[in-house]
Order: sequence, then structure tokens, then C-alpha cells
Amino acid sequence: MTLYTIEAPSGPVFEFFILFAVILFGPIIFTRFRLPGLIGLMLGGFVIGAHGLGWIGAGNHTVPELGHLGLLYLMFVAGLELDLRLLRDYKRAAVALGLLAFAIPVAGALLAGWAMGWSLSATFLLGALCSSHTLITYPRLREAGLGGSPAIASAVGATVLTDTLALIVLALVAGTETGSGSPALIVGEIALGFAVLIVVGLIVLPRAVDAAFRLWGADRVARYLLIIVALLFMSVLAEVFGIEAIVGAFFAGLALNRLVPNEGPSMERVEFFGAAVFVPVFVVSIGLLLDPSVMFTGETLGLAAVICGVAISGKAIACWLAGTLLGFSRPERVGMFVLTVPQAAATLAVTLIGFEIGLFSTSVVNAVLVLIVVSIVLSAVLAEKVIDWIPTKLEETRPLGGSVLVLTRSGGPSDAAVRAAMLLSRPDGGYSNVLITRTEDQPRLDRAAIRDIEERICRHGFDGHVRTEVSGLPDALAKELRAGGPSLVVVDDPGFDGAAGRVPLLVVNGSATRLIVDAEDGVADEVARRLARRL
Amino acid sequence: MPRLALILCVAVLLSACGGGSAAGSSFEPAKPGVLTVATAFLPAPGFWMGQPATKGFEAEFASALAKKLGLDRVQVVQVPFGQIIQGKLHGADLALSQLTPTEEREHSVDFSTPYLSAPPGVLARIGVDAADTHDLRDLQWVVSRLSTLTPVVMDRIRPTKTPIEVDDRTEALEVLRSGSANALMLDLPVALGLARDEPGLFHVLGQLDGDADIAAALPNGSDNREIVDSTIRALQADGTVDGLFSRWFGTSADDVPLILTEQRR
Repeated sequence: MTLYTIEAPSGPVFEFFILFAVILFGPIIFTRFRLPGLIGLMLGGFVIGAHGLGWIGAGNHTVPELGHLGLLYLMFVAGLELDLRLLRDYKRAAVALGLLAFAIPVAGALLAGWAMGWSLSATFLLGALCSSHTLITYPRLREAGLGGSPAIASAVGATVLTDTLALIVLALVAGTETGSGSPALIVGEIALGFAVLIVVGLIVLPRAVDAAFRLWGADRVARYLLIIVALLFMSVLAEVFGIEAIVGAFFAGLALNRLVPNEGPSMERVEFFGAAVFVPVFVVSIGLLLDPSVMFTGETLGLAAVICGVAISGKAIACWLAGTLLGFSRPERVGMFVLTVPQAAATLAVTLIGFEIGLFSTSVVNAVLVLIVVSIVLSAVLAEKVIDWIPTKLEETRPLGGSVLVLTRSGGPSDAAVRAAMLLSRPDGGYSNVLITRTEDQPRLDRAAIRDIEERICRHGFDGHVRTEVSGLPDALAKELRAGGPSLVVVDDPGFDGAAGRVPLLVVNGSATRLIVDAEDGVADEVARRLARRL
Repeated sequence: MPRLALILCVAVLLSACGGGSAAGSSFEPAKPGVLTVATAFLPAPGFWMGQPATKGFEAEFASALAKKLGLDRVQVVQVPFGQIIQGKLHGADLALSQLTPTEEREHSVDFSTPYLSAPPGVLARIGVDAADTHDLRDLQWVVSRLSTLTPVVMDRIRPTKTPIEVDDRTEALEVLRSGSANALMLDLPVALGLARDEPGLFHVLGQLDGDADIAAALPNGSDNREIVDSTIRALQADGTVDGLFSRWFGTSADDVPLILTEQRR
């Protein structure tokens, strides 16, 4: 038997195999050592890359191009996940912190860049990367019950402002570096581009996507593809005006923020594909740039020390100042720091673009990778301290429309009930679910019947789960309330006469509604007023 | 007081404009103020043309590099191809000679980030046509012993007639001109340059799927590699490379038909 056809593996199939093996095993191995999975992906990228085992060569185009799509996806999700309600509710504190958390690191970067003799463009880009941040530790703090803390909520709200400003700086720097024509013309083009992105992102795109969701929303694949098309449309639109595509992707995320609620099924799919494919591929593609022969040199480590110093001290000063101005306690200020110091998504994006347009050398990229690792580890360690330091674990105030349950009998919800649920949940960035109850003697709803109901209610913009339960309506309601799920229940049964509880019940009867809630008069009146305003 | 702070800030910003190179690296030329470039083929249609060779993609790319690096001029030295890939650059800062990075060559020189994509391109005599691998297989090929593309012809095209084997590209072109062969595999930009230079004799039949590139070669361990990489990326980002490509090759690589062959291994 001859074995002469057996060769060392190579080619696209082998490269994809290696890439996805890293995506699978990198985070698994690193989280076992209590290190962030992100670092596992980056180091995995290094191992398989040209500076490591060389399985993915320096001339490979596939992984970097896929990684570029992942970068767009990452910035899109960053915009999509932002809790705009917190920006609205803690406007003053969020704006103060947002401006300081942007301005102080930028000022530090300008001084550092000047001292190192960098060009003005590279210096401003350093400012943009140091000023942006990613809410990596927020899930941990929210899980510990600190989501309702005004300091934490302000830091989350401030992220919208900080990252937007950082991306504006990126757009200006990249535009002037890569555009042709006079600087005034380029700045004018970028300003026009931002105006178009804002108008399209705030007005045109949400309406167009909402209309498309109503038309095709019951088809989950179509719904997901619509989101991707919207993301790429905004990215292309940004590029048309000489603005980096990631800025458009971020605006696309903000544009769809209310239409794709954080806890809804569409978001689950967006996060699933992001976590499984797009974002890891991007992080691995960054890891391909990691070069130990560059990283472990005095020059790069010195650069890393400067960049870490600027970014970390800039955020610390900003949080301290903002905390003092806003009257937050010391642990709360540290809490704000824990949220604003991690550098990941926007930092990686800005760094990669700086590298691609030739403003940053490999040394800078490797120094930034050190910053990312240091800032993530620092914030993860401090987050645990903050959880201990803030003694009163404040209950997060749930917005009225945060999680709306439509409770209905076996025929499925009425259009009026679904419409009411949508009107109540969207302003809070919330989501709705439908629970259909039936008694044992009523016929079972098969898949086709549920599908018909989904198609009908999706025409009202519904994006949630439809469940059925063999139970009386009052029993099902009691069970849901005990489980602590909904923030508001829309009861689609005009004859319902249940007891009032702390969770408001809105009984729908065609266009008329009736509120049942157990609260002090003032509170009940306020809830009634808010509901009336939205309906 | 606020006015003073503002003036100070502006002064800091303006003085920061002084540094022209990429952040984190600097260029040290072999001769002060001069970018010394080694190249093998003079003239090389589309890449190095004119007397002296100041026109063509690589000639003008060298000028753009020098300008971006803050150097006054470019000096060209001709070095045999075989010596360039052995790392003998004759004192040049770098070599621009349609070089494809390979693992073997990397033992002798440091390659920069690529400045051109160079999938395999089929240069054929006018009148010769082929739409797929089957047609390509029946052509009379000429291959060069030094070329990295010879294995592509042998493994992916698998010609039915034994290819004519010569030492280098210059000899291969002579064979093609004479009509003894009717197809030659070259890096696509090189093929486009030759077809544009001799439109009555050659045309580009198509390109094959491939991820090879053309890059600059620097002496092994050169401290200039980082800044050269950054400068090449800057020239790609600001459209200089695309502009030079369309000026000297007349077409975008995307416009050249792709001929599907057996999956690359």
C-alpha cells in the first residue's frame, strides 16, 4: 500500500479548522484559569499565526477579512446592547462622567504623544483608543444587584457618549489620513456624513426595519438577516462619506436599539452568532498581529507602560472628579472606574484601524494588547472588591415596560393586547412575551396554530416568545408573578377580576384598559399616568 | 486663565504635528536623506520604466515611500534577482523587485507587509484563448526554474504537453515572444504590466485563485521593517497604491476573469 498522497494539511479547509478550534478551546482553557476568554482567543491567534506556528500565514486574507466583518459586528452589538434608558434616566451624571471619561484620557494621550514625538493624527488616535471603553464588568455588577446604583447606571449611560466621541475622533483622523482634498473639504465631508448617519440612524432606519419586521418578522431567519443588512447598510453609508465603517456599524446598533430589546429572541440570535463566530474571529485576527519579538522589547514594554498609564490614570481621574462633582461615595467612584477602565471592543477597533492606515506600528499594536489584558484583569479584580464595598445591594429599579407579559386564553392574544404590550415595552427598551393558557378540556394548540399566532402578532412589531400552558388564567398569572418574571402584565381578558399585587396588571378590553395595582395612591396614579401617556 | 490654558493646549497640539512618521518607529536610511532601492529587472514593464528608471509602479511607489519617510530622493541599484533573494542587497535599504515572500526566502531577507496582491496570472500570446482548466491544460507552457509559480503550473494546471523549462523570467518571455510556447504563469500585476507594454503580442487570459503577494525585501533583522510596514499601509489606505496600480496596469485585478482550478492544497 502506498501512502505517497498523504500530505501535511494546508489550504482553506485546514485554516478554518484551526481557526474554529482556537475559538472553541481558547476561551475554555483560559476561563479554567479564571482569565478572560478574550485573552485565550488573542493568544490562540498568536499561536496559529505567522509569529507562532505559522499555520495561518502572513499573507492569509481570509481570516483578516472575516475578522473585519467581526469588527463591524462587535461595534454593532456594542451600540445595540447599550441601555439608552439609563442615559435618559441619569442624564446629568452620565453626561458629566461621559465627557470627563473622554476628555481626560484624550488630554493625557495628547501630552504623551507630544512627548514621544508622534504625529498629531497618531496622537489623537491614541486619545480615541484610551478614552473608549467596553462594559465588560457590567454583567457581573448587575448580577450582584448593583445595576440600580446611580453611580453604576451613570457609568453605563456615559458609555454611549464616550464611545460615540471616541469614534468621532477616529472618523476625523482616519478621514484626514486617507481622504484626498483639502482638510476643510474632508472635515466637511465627514460632518455631512455624520449628519446623514444621525438622520438615517435615528429616523429612517428604525422605521424601515420596524416596517420590515412587521412584514417578515415571524420568519426568524429573515428577521436576523434584516438586522445584518441594516448593519452593513449603515457601514457602507459611513464609508461613502469617508467615515470608517465601524462608526456606521455602531450607529446601526444605536438605531436598532429599541427594536431589538436586550432580552428578546432577536438579541439572543444576534449574540449567539456574535459569540460563536464573528467576534471571536475578529479577536483571533488581532492575535495574529501579536509578535513576541516585538512585544517583549524595551521599546514596546515602555510604550505599553505609557499607554496603560494614560488610559488607566485618565479613567481614574475622570471617575474621581465626576464622582466628587456628583456626590458619589468612594466605593461608588471605584465602581464607575471598574466599568469605564476595561479596554476591549472600541479600543481594538481603533487600534486595528490605526494599524491599517499606517499610523500605528506593530509595537503600538502589541502595546495596546498589553493595555487590554491589564485593564480587563484590573477591572475584573476590582469588580469583586466593589461588590463587597458597596454594602447595600440596591434592587435594580425595573422599568415599567422592561418585561411585559401578555396573558391570554386559548384563542391567542387580541391585536389590541399585543399593540398595548409593544407600546409599553419599547420606550423602556424592554421586550414582551405571550403566555396562552388553556384548560385541559380545551383543544391543544399545535405548532401550526402557534405559528399562525406568531405571524399575526409580529405584524405589530412583536419580538418575543409565545408559550402555552395548561392552566387557568389566574393560576398562570400567580405562577408568573411568583417567578418574578414580568414587570407588567397585560391581561387579555375583559372579565378578569384578580387581586391587585405589586406588579401592575393592565386589563385590555378592545381600546379600553383597566389598571389593577397594589400601591400607595401617589404611586398608583403615577403608574396610571405613565401607562396612559404611552397608550 | 482659561485663555492661557487654551493657548497652551493649542501650542501642544501644533508642536505635536512635528513628528511625521508612524507612531512607535523611525527610519534610518543607509545614506542620509536617500532611500536606496535595489531591483533586479531594468526595465520591467509596468514596474520600472524610463531611462533613468523613474516611471512605473515600483519606481513611483519607491518615490512615495521616500516622501512619506521624509527622505529627499530615491537611488536605484540594479542587483541580480538571485542575489536579492539571498539577502545581498548591495547596501540598499530595501528591494522592490516584484518579490513574492516565501518561507525559504525569509531565511535570507525580511519581507515587508505586502503592497500588492499577486495571484497567479496567465500571460498568453494574442490569439490564444482558454476559458477553463481544461483549455489551459492543452496550451504549450514555458516555466522558469526560479519562479514560485512553476509548481502552480505543474500541480494545478497539469499541462498535457511537457512545458519548456528555462532559467528565469527574461528567458521565459523570449520563448513566449518566439512562439515556441503560448502561455506563461506570472504574478498577475507582472502579467498585466507586460500585456500593457506589448499589447500586440500578449494578453492576460485570466487569474487563478491564490493568496500570494508582492512585498519589499529588507536586509535580515533590519530595524526599518516596522516603519516601512506602517508606511506601506498608509500608502494603501490613502489610495496611493490603487492609483499607481490603475495608472500602470490599466485595470483592476478584480476585472481579470477568475479561472477555477482544482482546490489549492
